[in-house]
Amino acid sequence: MSRLPRVLPWLATGLAVAAAVAAPLIVPGFLLFQISVMLTYAIAVLGLNLLLGHAGQVSLAQGAFFACGAYVFAILVSRFGVPPAAALLCAAVVTVALGVAVGLPALRLPGLQLAIVTFGLAALVPQILIKFDHVTGGEAGIRLRRPVLPGWFAAPLETWNYYWCLAGLALCIVITLRVLFGDSGRSLRALRDNPLVAETLGIDLTRVRLSAFAVSAAFAGLAGGLFAMVNGFVNPSSFEATKSIEILIGAIVGGVTSIPGAVIGAIFIVFMPDWTSQIDISLAGLLYGLCLILTMLFARNGVTGVVRSLADRVVRMAAPPPDARQNPAPPA
Amino acid sequence: MALLIQHVIEGITTGGIYGSLALALVLIYRSTGIINFGQGEMATFVTFVAWQLHEWGFHPALALSAGVLLAAVLGVVVFRVAVRPLMGASGETIVVVTIGLMLAFQAASLWIWGADQRLFFQIIPNRSWTVAGITVTLHAVGVGVAVVALAVLLSAFFRFTRLGLAMRAAAAEREKSPLVGIRVETMLLLGWGLASVIGFMAAVLVAPKLFLSPTMMVPLLLYSLAAATLGGWDSPLGAVVGGIVVGVTESLGATYLSFLGAELRLAIPIVITLAVLLVRPAGLFGKTTVVRA
Repeated sequence: MSRLPRVLPWLATGLAVAAAVAAPLIVPGFLLFQISVMLTYAIAVLGLNLLLGHAGQVSLAQGAFFACGAYVFAILVSRFGVPPAAALLCAAVVTVALGVAVGLPALRLPGLQLAIVTFGLAALVPQILIKFDHVTGGEAGIRLRRPVLPGWFAAPLETWNYYWCLAGLALCIVITLRVLFGDSGRSLRALRDNPLVAETLGIDLTRVRLSAFAVSAAFAGLAGGLFAMVNGFVNPSSFEATKSIEILIGAIVGGVTSIPGAVIGAIFIVFMPDWTSQIDISLAGLLYGLCLILTMLFARNGVTGVVRSLADRVVRMAAPPPDARQNPAPPA
Repeated sequence: MALLIQHVIEGITTGGIYGSLALALVLIYRSTGIINFGQGEMATFVTFVAWQLHEWGFHPALALSAGVLLAAVLGVVVFRVAVRPLMGASGETIVVVTIGLMLAFQAASLWIWGADQRLFFQIIPNRSWTVAGITVTLHAVGVGVAVVALAVLLSAFFRFTRLGLAMRAAAAEREKSPLVGIRVETMLLLGWGLASVIGFMAAVLVAPKLFLSPTMMVPLLLYSLAAATLGGWDSPLGAVVGGIVVGVTESLGATYLSFLGAELRLAIPIVITLAVLLVRPAGLFGKTTVVRA
């Protein structure tokens, strides 16, 4: 009986992958487009999770990095005809360079200076996009030409884009797992939980936190590139400062230490404003603010945290493990 | 030359306002170690209430006093409800909560009063003097006097009164202060109330210039964060001086670095913040704390 909970996550993962791959067969085109956008956000949220949940740092510039990736992709593809895969790689690399330039001064210090600096960056990036209009197209933005699909691919463009986004998310999940279950993940958590002890044990605070920040920026850059590909069009009004805060909300609501949480958070931030705006434009902001405060006060690990503790309770009620006394549940 | 002096004076005026919001941020940081990203939006909300009272026909002085009272109560309530339960939690948790405060108060103002820009009533009459080609407005003088008075009063309060001493003690030694009979929680509540009132003051000073709108304080917060970083997060005097330096830099930068234009003005506080973090992370007046491992 006690084997059951261990099989469950694998079963759930397998079902989720199967559903994701089969989705284009049943989902109509526009919804598939929305889901693709949601997947790009999930990638950016996943990057922020790595930083927030495991390195204990707040970045408010994830939307700015997203914009950076989107513009790098759009410029490379539309001006220079670079193939999409190479352009995505460049989007990630350029974004990492921007992230390191901004993050290095802030991450040398033990406090939360990164939040201050990235808050400024989030406000500045839309201004930069408008200012350098000879590169970015200014307010009008950049429109991408409809890509030519390979001959063997016998499905519409939405499906093609969807699979790109899905592949991007899968790649980022694999990278996240490699980071978290390796040495670097252990160093990250040690730093988050007790920086003093961790440093005494020879973990370089600046280096580890900076690399976590770089990985999260790379995810956001890749996500931005995919977004430009899916949307076929980039302009500054898609990347206002609020975008960065929305990605933060996605991370918090889904649960900052959870990978499925990133997808749940992305679903929340992509689909929730759609229906609240039909009621009142200020409702989304109010709901967002309350979500942040209430999640921190009552459910620190977000939706996935709540689900997990409920599932734990159900499993324990159904079949109390015989060794419950020797192995008390770790504190949340 | 006259132009230069003119821009310096303008910079000092806006810088004084940045300084006063930075002062509110620093007060909270000193007592609770929190950067309150919601400070500006809380102040905007209270300013809207004061504006509404004035619209309903209350005397400006009455509307402002009501605002001060409301600001104090709001600061205390927000601390008690949203921040106090998380005092033991990690820094990033509390930053997220203050960002939640920012969004919630902005949305509340938007919901009640809409996105229109409102003309906020002038507290300081529109007068100016011109001497040797340099114009000084009464507003500039008023802001200068108000901010300097605030900084002096606060410093005196912390230095010479028993309550000020108790608040400093509560901030410095949260565990040991109760042993000498200081109610730490009350002191923290007072600190949040006081910061909220100072934030309201900054909003009232800036509202006639920027027009009142739910997002009025967002750019101001950016400048104030730079001011507090430059001054050093544990120094009230540093916050005001930092604010003035940021204000003058902004005014001169926008004039003489013409390639910045209106769009890249926001880059100035960010560059200042990065430069301070690189060169002197503790800020001009901040103390470098040494931790014994």
